[in-house]
Amino acid sequence: MGVSSAPSPLVILCGKGGVGKSTLSLALGLWHAKAGRSVLVVSSHPLPELAVAVSLSGLKESYPDAIVRFFVVHIDPREILGSKVRQQIPSDFLARTVLSSKLYQNLVEIAPGLKELAFLSRLRQLADGKSHDGETRAYDLVIWDTPATGHFLQTLKVSRNFDTYLSGPFAILGRELIHFLSDPARVRILPVTTLEEMSVDETLEMCGELRNELGMPPSALICNLASPLLSAPEEVYLKLRSELEASGSNPTWRFVLDRHAIERQLSRKLREGVPVTQCIVERVPRWGSDTELLDILADKLGNSLSGVL
Amino acid sequence: MRIRIFVGTGGVGKTSVAASGALKAALGGRKCLVLTLDPALRLKTALRLAPGGGEQKVDLSPYAPKGELWAGMLDAGATLNRAVSLYGDPQQAETVLKHPVYHSLVQSLAGMQELMAIERIDQALTDGYEELFIDTAPSRHAMEFLDKPEFFAQLVSIPLIRLVGRTYKWLEGSFFSKVGRTSVELYARVEELLGANLVRQVLDFYSVFRTIAEGYAVRARNTSSLLHNPQTTTFTVVTTAFKAERDAGFFLAELKKRRFHVETLIVNRLWPELGTPVEGQAPSSAAGLAAWYRSVSSAHAQVWEKVSEKFSDRIPQLIGLPELPRDVDGLPALVQIAGQLGALDPIRTD
Repeated sequence: MGVSSAPSPLVILCGKGGVGKSTLSLALGLWHAKAGRSVLVVSSHPLPELAVAVSLSGLKESYPDAIVRFFVVHIDPREILGSKVRQQIPSDFLARTVLSSKLYQNLVEIAPGLKELAFLSRLRQLADGKSHDGETRAYDLVIWDTPATGHFLQTLKVSRNFDTYLSGPFAILGRELIHFLSDPARVRILPVTTLEEMSVDETLEMCGELRNELGMPPSALICNLASPLLSAPEEVYLKLRSELEASGSNPTWRFVLDRHAIERQLSRKLREGVPVTQCIVERVPRWGSDTELLDILADKLGNSLSGVL
Repeated sequence: MRIRIFVGTGGVGKTSVAASGALKAALGGRKCLVLTLDPALRLKTALRLAPGGGEQKVDLSPYAPKGELWAGMLDAGATLNRAVSLYGDPQQAETVLKHPVYHSLVQSLAGMQELMAIERIDQALTDGYEELFIDTAPSRHAMEFLDKPEFFAQLVSIPLIRLVGRTYKWLEGSFFSKVGRTSVELYARVEELLGANLVRQVLDFYSVFRTIAEGYAVRARNTSSLLHNPQTTTFTVVTTAFKAERDAGFFLAELKKRRFHVETLIVNRLWPELGTPVEGQAPSSAAGLAAWYRSVSSAHAQVWEKVSEKFSDRIPQLIGLPELPRDVDGLPALVQIAGQLGALDPIRTD
């Protein structure tokens, strides 16, 4: 992708828990930041919970230019609702009274879907280049690192449910959000999966729901933690397999071969179910710092996705 | 009664480990229930359960079990329906079950799922299981599930719902004198912010739901104290090599903060070492693959060593489980894991 072509404002990395959504979101963000774009990664986890430490000092040393364009944020829906309250109530004292009241806190906690709606509308604001305090900060790319499949779909569906049981400002907001999220010019869906049966099945199911119920078909699939043989041509793989099998029955080679066989079969299954580009990200065998890992992944991912984003 | 709760971030194998633990205990003669709170359907596949909710007995006959293994998934909707009928009088129950907010409440599983987990544990306790293996939803949500008894107990005890119930009625033209001016002012502000329609629907619902919630809170408090008793409940943190250090530290701190007892740390899916004799025999084209593989497995071995050293004095039991060549499906794989679990729990009540 050339620097001149405008990237999609919102890229959504979704999928089963543990497949590497957060790590790949950060890596993808880093790749674009290195290419001169300003990037915001919206993480669904509080930052201390991220599996990879976003060591700003590490990145600063390696990429002093990129780091000034690279942002990571965790959105707490309670805070968004809180800032809405502060906006609407000019008196600081009264605003604080409302926010600290059990009545308010519990209503926010139990009002179905309110937190999800607050989150999604904030996400849209960010993609629109507006920040909550009215200032404009346009990012070239916003990446949403979503919660695991169940909660991700839940969050999307909630905006829809609001529409069906309520009227008024929240229902309108819900409708607007659905419209925004299903606009292919604004939003790209990139499901992440590992080539394991559970994960692939969940991905197929999720893609079905996204496409059929939410009008959000995936743009490409990311197959993470793949073995190096996956991208090898079929005949190379088969030759190696027969040679290894002929060389004796070491149980660990059996392990390696079995896994490769499963990966190839699942990759085919995915292709049949969701016929979009598959971006293969090989498992990184070892790395020094977290920054180094992100850097390795950034190159693997960024290059293979450049045709999609 | 023993309760074992398995926590961990997504995709680390909590369900398989919990199911294997339950399987092991069942083979040894206990009546066990493995309960998954994770909306992912892992348990269903792992144990090849029939579709539909409810608990199912797992056929262990090939393994000559001395006890029983049951498996269930949390059906938040069904659990809530049951709770409503249990704690409310028939008329209240009917009003609640028909209320539009009730349906969206059930659908907005993000909070309800966890809340109902506590209710579901209560049900299991009265159903006569000797051992409960609970597989939680990933990280943050696991913590929410543990916070819920407190949350719900607070919710009805302050007494917020009573207050908002009346406030709502005041809006309908009565009960004004019973509500303080500050509360009215506060309420007006909240309504302005969240939208009158939303607030009223929620309040209308909760004014009826209150009695049910109170009945629930009593039981929730009991469950909460059970979960805090190390004689009854132990926690197992499950993680993988990639996240091991971070996860172990995070969960240990979070659980400690809530005064829960962490008994076991399991580092799952460690890649076994590649046997050395192969090198000479294997074709040269496999050399690159072998080097790559060795690199992964030796990195895993290092993580395991480091984690063992760091946490051995803080967590009584540390277990490393190897990666299986195939996905875990069906009993044979679980039996294989169970064999490697060792004595999952040294504390015995019997």
